[in-house]
Amino acid sequence: MTRAPAASATGPAFVAPPPSSSLDRFSYDDDIVRKFLFATLLWGVVGMLVGVLIALQLANPFFNFNTPWLSFGRLRPLHTNAVIFAFAGNAFFTGCYYSTQRLLKARMFSDGLSRFHFWGWQAIIVSAALTLPFGFTQAKEYAELEWPIDIAIAVVWVVFAVNFFGTLIKRRERHIYVALWFYIASIVTVAILHIFNNLSVPVDALKSYSIYAGVQDAFMQWWYGHNAVAFFLTTPFLGLMYYFMPKAAEGPVFSYKLSILHFWSLVFMYIWAGPHHLHYTALPEWASTTGMLFSVMLWAPSWGGMVNGLLTLRGAWHKVTQDPVLKFFVVGITAYGMSTFEGPMLSIKSVNALAHYTDWIVAHVHTGALGWNGFMTFGMVYWLLPRIFQTQVYSKRAMDAHFWIASVGIVLYVVAIYSAGVTQGLMWRAFDETGRLAYPDFVETVVKLMPMYWMRVVGGVLFLTGTIIFGWNILMTWKHRPAAYDVPVVEAAPLDRRPAPAPVAAPVPAGVWARFTAVGWHRKWEAAPMLFTALTLIAVVIASLFEILPTFLIKSNVPTIASVKPYTPLELAGRDVYMAEGCFNCHSQMIRPFRYETERFGEYSKPGESVYDHPFLWGSRRIGPDLAREGGKYPDLWHVRHFENPQAVTAKSIMPSYRQFLTKPLDFDRIQSRVDAMAMLGVPYGDAVNRAPAMAREQAKSIAAAIAEQGGPLGLEDKEIVAIVAYMQRLGRDIKVTAAPAPTSAPARGGTDR
Amino acid sequence: MRLSDIMSAAGLSFYAQVALVLFFVTFIAIIIRTFAPSRSREMDEHARLPLDDDHAVPRQPVNR
Repeated sequence: MTRAPAASATGPAFVAPPPSSSLDRFSYDDDIVRKFLFATLLWGVVGMLVGVLIALQLANPFFNFNTPWLSFGRLRPLHTNAVIFAFAGNAFFTGCYYSTQRLLKARMFSDGLSRFHFWGWQAIIVSAALTLPFGFTQAKEYAELEWPIDIAIAVVWVVFAVNFFGTLIKRRERHIYVALWFYIASIVTVAILHIFNNLSVPVDALKSYSIYAGVQDAFMQWWYGHNAVAFFLTTPFLGLMYYFMPKAAEGPVFSYKLSILHFWSLVFMYIWAGPHHLHYTALPEWASTTGMLFSVMLWAPSWGGMVNGLLTLRGAWHKVTQDPVLKFFVVGITAYGMSTFEGPMLSIKSVNALAHYTDWIVAHVHTGALGWNGFMTFGMVYWLLPRIFQTQVYSKRAMDAHFWIASVGIVLYVVAIYSAGVTQGLMWRAFDETGRLAYPDFVETVVKLMPMYWMRVVGGVLFLTGTIIFGWNILMTWKHRPAAYDVPVVEAAPLDRRPAPAPVAAPVPAGVWARFTAVGWHRKWEAAPMLFTALTLIAVVIASLFEILPTFLIKSNVPTIASVKPYTPLELAGRDVYMAEGCFNCHSQMIRPFRYETERFGEYSKPGESVYDHPFLWGSRRIGPDLAREGGKYPDLWHVRHFENPQAVTAKSIMPSYRQFLTKPLDFDRIQSRVDAMAMLGVPYGDAVNRAPAMAREQAKSIAAAIAEQGGPLGLEDKEIVAIVAYMQRLGRDIKVTAAPAPTSAPARGGTDR
Repeated sequence: MRLSDIMSAAGLSFYAQVALVLFFVTFIAIIIRTFAPSRSREMDEHARLPLDDDHAVPRQPVNR
């Protein structure tokens, strides 16, 4: 068939095979593909719009509009969830439903399940948009959604899996093409990751605590977090690449062998790479080194895959200048190559020491997300449009304009944020000639980034503009669709009635080697989808167990500290406020053992300090300073003034105002159920299990009195502010305790402040 | 005595090395099998699968 996405393609070319009674006649379900395509577009625009808003908020805190549900800490998870699970997720489903049916020569197993998957997934996205801005969050990155939504995700995912594997079973093509292997690995691994990272104890309808704490929770979270990148944003899109790239280039993939190697390498290696997100933290060093080694090894298969994708264009490079689809694919695959070179580099400990907590990571992520996921999606959709709407793409010029505007947007975004990351990383570690921090005031390292933050806004706006053009083009194409879609009838022989293919190998020679290469065991795996899936599953699960279990079961990995005690009921309530506001999106609580960190923030963090932290709140980015040793650094009143108006305390701060803490009543009655849930998780709460609200009121009264004594406002003892101040003043103080427990509202300054 | 005490005392680190060897051997086996010259023709056929999926019989208009 001719490939001319903007010109004359009007659906498949119809080749009538000789009529035969042994052939099944069926048609493909393209309606579900159209549905997912529209969802991709809608959530893409929404997710990117929120992205532009939070980019503005970092450039100027005015854009938080003094509105709690529009503040950065609450909207940043909405942005990440929308672009990952809504935009990229729906894009994957679009391509998956289109290609799976054709590669297997079978309609989806059940149209009903397809529709349940579609509407279920959109309902989950809507519920995310209705909970995250209002502070309902598990406080784990990319796993923020609360437990009822997590259960819904698991149900919808299982429905998708049943539908997909059902189609595999009733397929009419014996060989399962490599794109489908990538889909299989994605489906099974995402299910495992999602379920095990989200295990939690519910407190009420929209609140839960992770069953893991501290180091173990961090380990689980980044095992999940990195593999969400691997199995939600990488392998599904590699599957799409291996199907749509040959389609667009009108030739087979450069090397099918290389694609198999690519697949197995990723399955064997990716699952180990997570701990590179925790270098120099309280994670045991062996785990961190394992993560680094596997991450560096991943460079090889990733680049093998990139080369394989690009060389699929061999002999067709001249088409790239003509065809916007190929342009998007070439830039998308190149972005895959760039981010999979950078990922291994960032996982090297000494590089990571500079990059961790900075915008460098954000730049790295956006090379992948905008370049790889974005451009692969755009290319794929432009290729699909004439086929599923059975008319020409409305405007080829708009496709070209989209390509160039979005490309310039990526470059502006990424260049600005790389420089921001490296600048801030270098400023944090700079010492002057007398051996003191060159920039002791954290805000100095923030002010320096402002020009780059504005450049990011411009880049983001350009990328969003491109996406709006994309949407306009889709809608105009859709408007010109035929009155009724043609549903071509396809003929293919069912598998069981076709004779099994004769062995390809030459006569089997003697010898172990020859027999090994001729047995065809891999071919048998490939033809047995369930066995294949099971083997993929085993590779992923065993690797996960070997990496994760030791931190749970081998004591020496998390040495305990006798003076570390559970949070008081009031501090626990304050911690919940900290999580609900998404403070962890900007503030880490993990001081690394470097002199420039201990000079700035205090004693480095120990694994035993976070044993009661369900979930851990170490954070991954320091838009503001680390808070691990915040307790006792400032008087209570300082915190009150700072929450009320950060700019009044630090003129150039970009933190939003949290003045609502001073007026919003603290719900003391809910504290008991939270303490009980913590006690259920094994936190030794003692007496607090019986009288948490009373204990909280006592402590609140003494903090409110201290604030009043320091000249602050009166009558704060039943407001949220006392809880969050109690939590702030507790942070990092337990290891300094020698005999009696420290008073939590002490105005005295601690020993490590600067 | 807790589970973690038992696991700490059990000296299980040897199994990590066993797993490493098993995984590595499996992986090498897959590579050898994939790149065996005897499979080249079959691989080429498989590579063409995406290009070979539009066999439709003459159209049958169906309402949307």
